[in-house]
Amino acid sequence: MTRASTLVCLCLALASGCGPRRVSAPAAEGTALVVLLADPDTGAVGRATVSNANGAVDLAADRDATTVLTGRAPAPVSPLAADTLATVFGETLSSLPMAPMSFTLYFRLESNELTDESRALLPGVLKAVSTHPAPDVAVVGHTDTSGVPATNYALGLERASTVRTLLTGVGVEASLIEVSSHGESDLVVQTPDNALEPRNRRVEISVR
Amino acid sequence: MTVRYSVAVVVAVGMVFLACAPAFAQQPVAAGRIKLVSGAVSLVHDGRQAPATVGALVYEQDSLTTGPDGRVGLTLRDETRLSVGPRSAIEISRFLYAPADSQYAFALKVIRGVVAYVSGRIAKLSPDAVRLETPSAIVGVRGTRLTIKVGR
Repeated sequence: MTRASTLVCLCLALASGCGPRRVSAPAAEGTALVVLLADPDTGAVGRATVSNANGAVDLAADRDATTVLTGRAPAPVSPLAADTLATVFGETLSSLPMAPMSFTLYFRLESNELTDESRALLPGVLKAVSTHPAPDVAVVGHTDTSGVPATNYALGLERASTVRTLLTGVGVEASLIEVSSHGESDLVVQTPDNALEPRNRRVEISVR
Repeated sequence: MTVRYSVAVVVAVGMVFLACAPAFAQQPVAAGRIKLVSGAVSLVHDGRQAPATVGALVYEQDSLTTGPDGRVGLTLRDETRLSVGPRSAIEISRFLYAPADSQYAFALKVIRGVVAYVSGRIAKLSPDAVRLETPSAIVGVRGTRLTIKVGR
């Protein structure tokens, strides 16, 4: 065999070795891998349904995963190995923003003044604002079901505005605060209409 | 008042109303805010692309794309949290959070790459209002945490 024909053989062998890999790659273009994860703080696991025109699967346990190829039904559910999870998603999971922090404030009976316990929470709100990057502060007023919805909406807004003033008083920047009212539509304790319920009369602050 | 004059008034009032109506309809409420950026990340809003920055507001129909070293984290108004890994593209196709009117909708398109999702209040109050879309399947959510990878 001449040197030239050896080279040709070598090139052919290399080319055939490379060929299949190049062909197989684009087939996976639209493939989706979906993984359900437990909440790292509470351990609670939610639920998710992965579906398309060809079928559906339910993810219900920590690291339950399915792969879906374009035009095919979702593959049967199997757990994703912890090290694969870390390799594929670790960096992205570590880029999740900090969890929001919530505070619930109550008012004294027949009054626009916070209870002492609630007033003591205000510095904690300022602290949460300072630890969250690019923070937003939502202040939402809620009422009980006594009275009519329109009046309760206004009352919720009034209480939320009172809390905004208190927050700026402890040093929270006013421009970060968004005030709103859910009136009597978002009860903590379910009651019939026209029920006095102090636990429903509250302002919820969320720092996110 | 003459007939001609009153017609003119009606037409004028109508035109003013029409001119104002789109402004009322479009009054944009942000869907959320970018809390963390590293590497190359761009935000497309209203057809205009700009580098994503910490503190920037994100609206319904905005999209985010990341470069080979890019990562971005954002928190939506209903406390949904999202992060997007390198070489990825997402679009917030729909976001509506109006608890006073019990109106909720959230649709996220994962076009390519890697995304982590932590459900917020919309998923709690109205689970059927949440849709995470990939090119090959749709994910419905009943709470907590998911990761999605689209592509190789």
